Amino acid sequence: MGLPLTISELVVPGGKGRVLLSLPKLELPAGALVGVRGPSGAGKSTLLYALAGLLEAEGSIRWGETELLRLGAERRTRFRADNIGMIFQDFLLFEELDAGANAALTALFRPRRERAAMRLRASKRLSALGLGDHAGRHVSSFSGGERQRVAIARAMAAEAPVLLADEPTASLDRASADRLIDDLVHLARDSGTTLIAVSHDRHLTDRMDRVLTITDGALLGDEATAA
Amino acid sequence: MSDLWYSLPALAQDIALTFALLLPALLVGALVLRGFAPWPLTRAILWRFRGASVMFVLLIAISVGMGIGLLAQERGLRRGTAQAADKFDLVVSAPGSELSVMLAAVFLQPTDMPLLDGATYDEIASHENVSVAAPLAFGDSYGDAPVIGTTAEFARDLADDRIEGRMWQASDEALAGALVPLGVGESFTPAHGHGDAAEGDAHGDAHLRIVGRMAPTGTPWDRAILLPVEAVWEVHGLANGHAPERAGQIGPPFDPDYFPGTPAVVVRAEALWANYALRSEFTRDRETMAFFPGAVLAGLYAVLGDIRQVMSLMALVTQGLVAASVLLGLFILSRLFRRQIALLRALGAPARFVFAVVWSFGAALLVAGAGLGLLTGVAAASVLSRVVTARTDILVTAPIGWSEIHFLAGFVSLTLLLSLLPAAIVLRQQVVDGLRA
Repeated sequence: MGLPLTISELVVPGGKGRVLLSLPKLELPAGALVGVRGPSGAGKSTLLYALAGLLEAEGSIRWGETELLRLGAERRTRFRADNIGMIFQDFLLFEELDAGANAALTALFRPRRERAAMRLRASKRLSALGLGDHAGRHVSSFSGGERQRVAIARAMAAEAPVLLADEPTASLDRASADRLIDDLVHLARDSGTTLIAVSHDRHLTDRMDRVLTITDGALLGDEATAA
Repeated sequence: MSDLWYSLPALAQDIALTFALLLPALLVGALVLRGFAPWPLTRAILWRFRGASVMFVLLIAISVGMGIGLLAQERGLRRGTAQAADKFDLVVSAPGSELSVMLAAVFLQPTDMPLLDGATYDEIASHENVSVAAPLAFGDSYGDAPVIGTTAEFARDLADDRIEGRMWQASDEALAGALVPLGVGESFTPAHGHGDAAEGDAHGDAHLRIVGRMAPTGTPWDRAILLPVEAVWEVHGLANGHAPERAGQIGPPFDPDYFPGTPAVVVRAEALWANYALRSEFTRDRETMAFFPGAVLAGLYAVLGDIRQVMSLMALVTQGLVAASVLLGLFILSRLFRRQIALLRALGAPARFVFAVVWSFGAALLVAGAGLGLLTGVAAASVLSRVVTARTDILVTAPIGWSEIHFLAGFVSLTLLLSLLPAAIVLRQQVVDGLRA
């Protein structure tokens, strides 16, 4: 089950008195699928990184009962390990490892007793994403779509209640992107995961419950979609 | 505590010291890696930067190998020279430089030396505590081989009684050292002097025949031709050490009145303690000088000991510098996998895990380099030994000893500790900057 998100008076400073992002109020229910769009440099990725606890900010970001900004760096990291899966535009896989090892990457820093279960989940995710037969192949031989599927399996291997995706389809051709969007949306809905996806891709944002529009570091639009 | 330490056998002390030197690295390794499995990522990073990794490993291996090889070689040389002096318990000569006499008598380096007369020799030879008193007569050569006159007893002792063929029985017979290019049955004419200055026809009418070949001794004597001391005196037109009525005698006792003189006498005492008594007895101003070649060598090693320490320090500093440049390279490399590091942090990897990945990457390079360096050191020491043995005829073997192992353990420990630094610097990088890089 996903986590609900409550943001209030969030300000992400950019140094020299600049403000990268200012978000007075935002509430998302658990399991919501939310798209974030806006022009380049508007602060979309900044929002995503702030929600992952990777940026210093003022105000409040509350995931469920956890006030993220009050946590120290290592506790935030632990929170991320347990609760947040991340997907990036250029996949960020370890090219030297096979698909299975990439998907189960986070098992490497989990306590020994959790590692086997984690690997099993990663392998199930790969199967669900149609890559079950290719777990032993090195990802360097994969297509972009396949790589992003491995990245999704990795993000979901810990059964994190929150999935943050940064332009997940931007490096893919249309057909691959559409297949990936289907898979991502189904997986998120089936598991009740809260999904926040920054994207220029209307095919993706149209499948979300809500779409936020960010321009110049401020939230200018918050619309429910037909999905 | 120190009593316990000294009560341990040497091997146990060496092993314990090695372990103690490695302990800091082992502890750090255990602390850094505890609870994590960074190896698949370490392997991936090693593979990605395989070219640079191989270069680093080779660089470390060569510097470690050279350090170890030199240290082992230096010890091997000491051991080889000490072994060469083994058969020379006590040497009596005319007063002068002990070092020169030792170089001449033990290592057969030609030098002009004053002679001891027959009365002095007789006094030494007939001393109650002396069991062997062998005169040595230098000065002639055949090709590269010095020709040395002495007694059959000393020649036999030198070869540990392992002589192929037989011992000389007449003054025109000789024994060849193991490396002399003359076979049993071949004849030769000794030249007066050595090397370029040798006068080949000075002893033109002397024809000597090789009747036996000595087993290898691992000393410069392997290159020498030994003959009865009487033969050397005779070819120089001197009396042959015996009264005319016993002119055909070979070997002691010699008649002091017909004894032409000898530059040095190798003395062996009846008992070990007697050597010391003999040394003080024959150390007389302006008459004789008696010394233990082993003690002269020990004095020489003591002087060279400081140089050895400087050498060890230089080897250590050189290796430290190589290690430092490797660590710097490691840091530069880590900038290349900055995105992967940032990714790990974004996926929730604890700082210590990232630290473990970077550190184990450096540790793998250092340990592989040190291991390969040990092999390089063994190879370097063996090549150097062969070169030194070929050039000096002193058999030098330089197996890797515990001091090299300790040196290596110290190096590994220190550098593994130092490689915590780049790992710590990598952690200071901003995750978001890394992701966007």
